[in-house]
Amino acid sequence: MTEYLIRRTLQSVLILLLITVVTFILIHAAPGGPKQIYLSPNLSQAAAKVQEHNLGLDRPLPVQYVNWIGDLLRGDLGYTFKNHIPVGEIIWPTVGHTLVLMGAAWLLTLLIALPWGIYNSTSEYGLSDQTASFIAYIGFAMPTFWFGIILQELFALKWNLLPLSDMWTMGKEGQIGDLLLHLMLPVTVLTIGFLASYVKYARSSMLEVLDQDYIRTARAKGLGEGRVVFRHALRNALIPIITVLGLDLPVLVAGAALTENVFNWPGMGRLFVQMAVAREYSVLMAITLLTAVFVIVGNFVADLLYALVDPRVKLSRKGGAAA
Amino acid sequence: MKSKNKLTMCLSVFALAGALLAGCNGAGSKASDSSPSASPSASASPSPSASASAPPDANQPVDGGSIVISSFSDIVSINPIYVQDTASGDAQGIVFANLYDLDRQGNVVAEPWSLAAELPTISADGLTYTVKLKPNAKWSDGQPVTADDIAFTLNTMKNPEAGSPGISNVDKIDTVAKIDDQTVEIKLKQVFSPFLYSLFTPLAPAHVLKDVPLKGLEKNAYGSDPAKTVTNGPWKWTAWEHGQYLTFEADPNYWGAQKPHIQKITYKIYADQNTEVQALLKGDTNMTEAVPLTMLDTVKKQKGLNVILAPGPQYEYMSFNFKDDNFPDKYSPFKGQKTRQAIAYALNRQGMVDNILKGTGKLMNSPFLPGSWADPGDRAVNYNYDAEKAKQLLADDGWKANKDGILEKDGHKFSFELQYNAGNSRREQVAAVIQQNLKDVGIDVKPKGIEFSAWIDQNVTPGKYQALLLSWSLTNPDPNGESIFSSKYFPPAGQNAGWYKNEKLDDLWVRGYSVIDQNERKKIYAEAGQEISTDLPYVFLYQYGLPQALDATIHYAEADRPEPSLAYGYLFHAINWWVTPK
Repeated sequence: MTEYLIRRTLQSVLILLLITVVTFILIHAAPGGPKQIYLSPNLSQAAAKVQEHNLGLDRPLPVQYVNWIGDLLRGDLGYTFKNHIPVGEIIWPTVGHTLVLMGAAWLLTLLIALPWGIYNSTSEYGLSDQTASFIAYIGFAMPTFWFGIILQELFALKWNLLPLSDMWTMGKEGQIGDLLLHLMLPVTVLTIGFLASYVKYARSSMLEVLDQDYIRTARAKGLGEGRVVFRHALRNALIPIITVLGLDLPVLVAGAALTENVFNWPGMGRLFVQMAVAREYSVLMAITLLTAVFVIVGNFVADLLYALVDPRVKLSRKGGAAA
Repeated sequence: MKSKNKLTMCLSVFALAGALLAGCNGAGSKASDSSPSASPSASASPSPSASASAPPDANQPVDGGSIVISSFSDIVSINPIYVQDTASGDAQGIVFANLYDLDRQGNVVAEPWSLAAELPTISADGLTYTVKLKPNAKWSDGQPVTADDIAFTLNTMKNPEAGSPGISNVDKIDTVAKIDDQTVEIKLKQVFSPFLYSLFTPLAPAHVLKDVPLKGLEKNAYGSDPAKTVTNGPWKWTAWEHGQYLTFEADPNYWGAQKPHIQKITYKIYADQNTEVQALLKGDTNMTEAVPLTMLDTVKKQKGLNVILAPGPQYEYMSFNFKDDNFPDKYSPFKGQKTRQAIAYALNRQGMVDNILKGTGKLMNSPFLPGSWADPGDRAVNYNYDAEKAKQLLADDGWKANKDGILEKDGHKFSFELQYNAGNSRREQVAAVIQQNLKDVGIDVKPKGIEFSAWIDQNVTPGKYQALLLSWSLTNPDPNGESIFSSKYFPPAGQNAGWYKNEKLDDLWVRGYSVIDQNERKKIYAEAGQEISTDLPYVFLYQYGLPQALDATIHYAEADRPEPSLAYGYLFHAINWWVTPK
């Protein structure tokens, strides 16, 4: 187990390093730069050049990368180019905000999707199953921003029941009740989007298992249906669901840019879009890195969970079963 | 004291240019003005409590209260030496007093809230400007605003090492000399009349920044950390939540005789303009600077919202590129003057104004804003939509239709790419109209939207495009256009991105800024207007504005209403505004 952990960690660091190199090159290959946003008859190119120099933007790319990674190893995420604000000061609050929003949506999704999917697998093509399919189609087909705007139009503007956007009402920062009200609409939008896939995963994964020989054996032994479903089938059916959960984990920090934009949620998704437009390389790199870390951690957690639910999976040197 | 100030002000205005007298009248009558508030009637106010709290006083300013202004971008820095984007400019206008301000007509004036006591006196040779500060002007840390601050600000902006975007406003300065604590003498290297507008600027505090090395000045926390940003305006900066909001509160120690009425201003940042408008409709915000045209009707229909529709200080144009290298067959089809005039005739500009701009636009025939003192009026050629005339001119210039109906000359097909920034719905629509209009006369246009930053970097700045749609915002009302039209300013160093060369105009720009007398200048710009509208480096399309919307809680006297024709005019005289008591 320890050996496995060490091996995985080393692999992860290598992957992270590769990711940073690739994203660094890609981000800088995009035309335009932090100083190209403005165009006015008064801003001379000569002045822009001096600014670039003062901000260190004219140094060769490899030098910029080495500086960046050097700072990172010392725990310094760098500064924004335009106003020299520590990147951490900008990013960490948004990570928290996104975690609140995505965490709430994710939890709600699991609470609804798992039981519902399991139930649907036991009564295939029943009313409940058909309803789930219907919601899944809608959830997949409906653009989230559009759905968000419709909800805003109805609940915030027309009926004036819920806040339109933001995380808090100004002056009520920190009040849980206010936060919950603000969460209602965006969480609804996100949950409907997530539900579509999770109910389907849970259902199909259960159906597949229920079809297996050992389930038939269990039934033949005369076990009750509840015992068959929950003791024998569920544990096996959870494996593919865990994979999906692990893969979705980064979404918890990366956020959903569109939903965050529509609801003006001060999260990472929105930040990333703003910073991409502004070409704030150091912020973009930090967000990419953070997301990458979560992808790796997500996969790792999923692997560990396999071992918990499936005794056949051993975290061995060969690691074949876990892959 | 007060009346004496007014007199000197008028006298110096007179010395500058007689035509500016109107500016004095405006400044003198302001204090006693209490005409009805510009917000809709009191009954339209959605809040029932408004009527309970003394309705007879609805038109009298009250102190206190707060407003929320929305924006779709965050600030960068409000250090006056580095401000260049609109959001930072907004915030700067709230917390900094200017050395001089502009009146509604765009004239430079010394208002009660300006740092300068009176208009500058300009020496007979036009080279020396003497500026006098108000003796009571103070920074928010209690230090006086002095001649050192003026000298520090101008000298820093002028030094290339500092990398200030304002360098071109001050590069004509030779020396700035301190005469006494309140007075400086600015000597120019040459007569340059637009320099007066360079004094319409906030100052940076010398006592805070003078020891910061120039190369590190832009990175200094001054301008990005509210606690370290010493200011001198009616409000001071109290908080900045990155990407979310900024707050400003009336400075209890503000030096001005006239204090702001509004206690707290929140500058709230939204993800885009649509979310901004939604928040205004919901009542989360009280004012937005720019309602997108697609949502204009919705906003107008909403009770209690007041929409200000007017052309603003910016104009859109279609630029021709004269450099052959930018075309696949090494031939710019735009070289014939008649060809360019034909394109101007072929475009239905009035149709664009009526259908796309929805009341925020006005035709423009030269680079001088209609209604400004330099407006050449009828001297500028107005090209009415006339496809037949366009075809005639194209034929005169040697263009003949080929078998596909596309014009050709000497084996070159009249076909070009029209670039604009992707996502700008106004330009997308205008590009489509241009494509259709020019197709009608046999010219093939391929509209192409490109992401803004990349476009500016790869096409606009280096002058590598065939034709493009873009606009100029005129941050100050001076008509000098040398830096965008003169052949001295070819890319990449200059902004004459279309490689346009006209010796007569080159000379007119120089003459225009080399005289101080405004009447003389007016004649020169009338000639420039005629020449440029005949020769057409651009097709000047229209002047356009961004509709401002305010709710019924914001009040102002008629004399203090927002002024859409000025840059940052949506907060014009905000020091005199007040809000409905809650």
